[in-house]
Amino acid sequence: MAQTQTTPKTYDVVIVGSGAGGGVAAHILSLAGAKICMLEAGDWFDGTKDSKMFGWPYQVPHRAAGTPDRPWGYFDATTVGGWRVPGEPYTNADGSNWRWWRARMLGGRTNHYGRISLRMGPYDFKPYSRDGKGFDWPISYDDLAPYYDKAEGLIGVFGTHEGLENTPDGNFQPAPAPRGYERLIKAASDKLNIPCIPSRLAILTRPLNGRPACHYCAQCGRSCGVNANFNSPGVHIKPALHTGNLEVRTGAMVRAVTVGSDGLANGVSYIDKKTRTEQEVRARIVVLAASCCETARIMLNSKSAQFPNGVGNSSGLVGKYIMDTVGSAVSGFLPIMQDLPPQNEDGVGGMHMYMPWWNYKLQQANKMPFARGYHIELGGGRPLPGIGIMSNYAEKWMGGGYGIEMKENLKKMYGAGVHFAGRGEMIPNEDSYCEIDKDVVDQWGIPVLKFHFKWSQDEILQAKHMQETFQEIIHTMGGIVTSSAGADKNWGIAPGGEIIHEVGAVKMGDNPKTSVLNQYCQSWDVKNLFVTDAAPFVSNADKNPTLTISALGWRTSDYIVDQVKKFNVKV
Amino acid sequence: MSDISRRTIFQIMGAVPAIAVAGSAAEVHDHAHMAASAAATAPFKRQTFDDHQWQTIRVLCDLIIPADSQSVGAAEAGVPEFIDDWLAFRAEQDGNLDLTAKIFGGLMWLDRQALPSTFAGLPVDGQKKILDRIAYPAKAAPEDHQYVPFFNELRSLTVSGYFSSKVGVQYLPYLGNTAVEKWEGCDPKVWAIIEERLKNGYKGGVIEAKPWGA
Repeated sequence: MAQTQTTPKTYDVVIVGSGAGGGVAAHILSLAGAKICMLEAGDWFDGTKDSKMFGWPYQVPHRAAGTPDRPWGYFDATTVGGWRVPGEPYTNADGSNWRWWRARMLGGRTNHYGRISLRMGPYDFKPYSRDGKGFDWPISYDDLAPYYDKAEGLIGVFGTHEGLENTPDGNFQPAPAPRGYERLIKAASDKLNIPCIPSRLAILTRPLNGRPACHYCAQCGRSCGVNANFNSPGVHIKPALHTGNLEVRTGAMVRAVTVGSDGLANGVSYIDKKTRTEQEVRARIVVLAASCCETARIMLNSKSAQFPNGVGNSSGLVGKYIMDTVGSAVSGFLPIMQDLPPQNEDGVGGMHMYMPWWNYKLQQANKMPFARGYHIELGGGRPLPGIGIMSNYAEKWMGGGYGIEMKENLKKMYGAGVHFAGRGEMIPNEDSYCEIDKDVVDQWGIPVLKFHFKWSQDEILQAKHMQETFQEIIHTMGGIVTSSAGADKNWGIAPGGEIIHEVGAVKMGDNPKTSVLNQYCQSWDVKNLFVTDAAPFVSNADKNPTLTISALGWRTSDYIVDQVKKFNVKV
Repeated sequence: MSDISRRTIFQIMGAVPAIAVAGSAAEVHDHAHMAASAAATAPFKRQTFDDHQWQTIRVLCDLIIPADSQSVGAAEAGVPEFIDDWLAFRAEQDGNLDLTAKIFGGLMWLDRQALPSTFAGLPVDGQKKILDRIAYPAKAAPEDHQYVPFFNELRSLTVSGYFSSKVGVQYLPYLGNTAVEKWEGCDPKVWAIIEERLKNGYKGGVIEAKPWGA
């Protein structure tokens, strides 16, 4: 085995991970003048060079179909990543089926994600105070609101000012006009008294900081060739590199945080994937942003005489309370949308309208069978034709058949599909956590995670409510439900991890005994160790995590700058 | 800079089939070159079907989606090539030949029904007579029932392959995957039709739309 190599230079900050959390930390800290080394386990990625924008499924192998190693197929931005990463296994305890998504590339999942950018509301920070379940955050909405303003200002988010309960408005660019089926859904929602408002996505409708406005090709998931959507490499990292203060090392698989005799972190050790050698980077401050479970894994694997249970883990809570989003979906067919004159319905990459949670009053009055809420995401219209398009329509709607009549009927039916997906809050529970599997290592020899996961009745009943609501909306539109799930399938609730909104595992709080990090996401035990991904999340509101990662990471970065100035953190 | 790169998109759109865009002309050229070569897939080589099966599949594809005044049929659209590749791909991904066996079994059944000819050797009327026995699941006779799933599968592959092909995209038509100068939402003319249908319903589709509100 090669000897461990240590980079002679000591950096101000080493950041592990380059996604939303690592990216925002690198951005803010490099602009503040800190010398930074960022470590990314995957390869370099730059959407302006690597994006497969404007390609067609018929131009590429197997019509761009997905595979287990590439779930969204050929065009997707995620070059290496998925619920399965070759050579990097994880395990599940008996009875658990956690699916752990990882993106091994610069920018992580920000290259691919849905760009949905919803602020957590005042209730979402104090859920325990409202209904006695889970935990309160150590901060309030007012603490984070200025950082939401800043994050939205940097990444660029469109939306509208609505003034709805617990659905804070933001620092928005103008929202794009709705598509035809979205106007129909709005009409049906009005009948059912469900608010249906313009969505809030991190896609530019106006130029911003040298980035152009969207050209409406709808393929944000492929990554954007002009950075018109938010992605960490183009928006966080590129300007950080321009400062000259940031060095990025790719193919760097971090094993552990290293700790000095003074009990402070002094850097990290990692495997350089190309040479398969063990390397060390020294830094005065360590920021973990490897994605929540990976961050917990690094902490748990950072064992030393001072920290026998892993670095920063005197509370024993590292790895506890992992959460995903409650997801359940219903598809339908809208006869009214058949046989319409063709139009380009692409728009931005994602929905132009959505429905925020609307039953706060009923819940407050104890009139709902579950705690917490969900928002509704929607899709439909005339999407890019890919593999599987209308493949079962004849069998399902025409009694079978073939020939000219079927061909013409399919043309009429194209554009009439509709799809609803609920995205709801999961309450943290004692049965959902990760730990180090004592018997399994990955191809780099690093011990892997073992997952335990369980939904509670609150989540399952929420999925039931989703199913019933979506079917009601489809029926209100004179539509036919084509795919749904009943009690026998737990109301279609997706397996934990499948929605890829995993948060938690390194909880923040106001008490070192019941949390790992303080309100600035600083380790209680190791003052120069910080976390800026979704690991500090105390709850997982129905507001998709990325915007809150950005805002919280910014707040933590400001705090680091402030502490360095005050010499409270060793530099 | 933003104006330049946005303008650049509109200049190069349509010039090459698949492209990533950047700020400078040199970069754009590089990307166009890269994307164009990436888009050129290797020449087709049959992996699944033998000569006789290939001939039969081509006939079947055109029976399922024939040419009409607006577009070519499935064979010319490259659907047989798609199916041949797809069966090989699934066998590799799934680690079994279940899907291939289903298709092969169906092709043999078709030939048996055509004896002493082969299915492909029959006149179109004769071919349709056989297909009609398995193409309408609810109407299939008990003795033919086990080959209904074969035809469902073949139709599904043909439909999926056709409408995701260049020909199919143009036939539908799908008008996107391109740069749009200004996004204005639903075309007002289309919305006017939808509003009219909301009041009066619509019977011209495959499934009747009932009125539901104004």
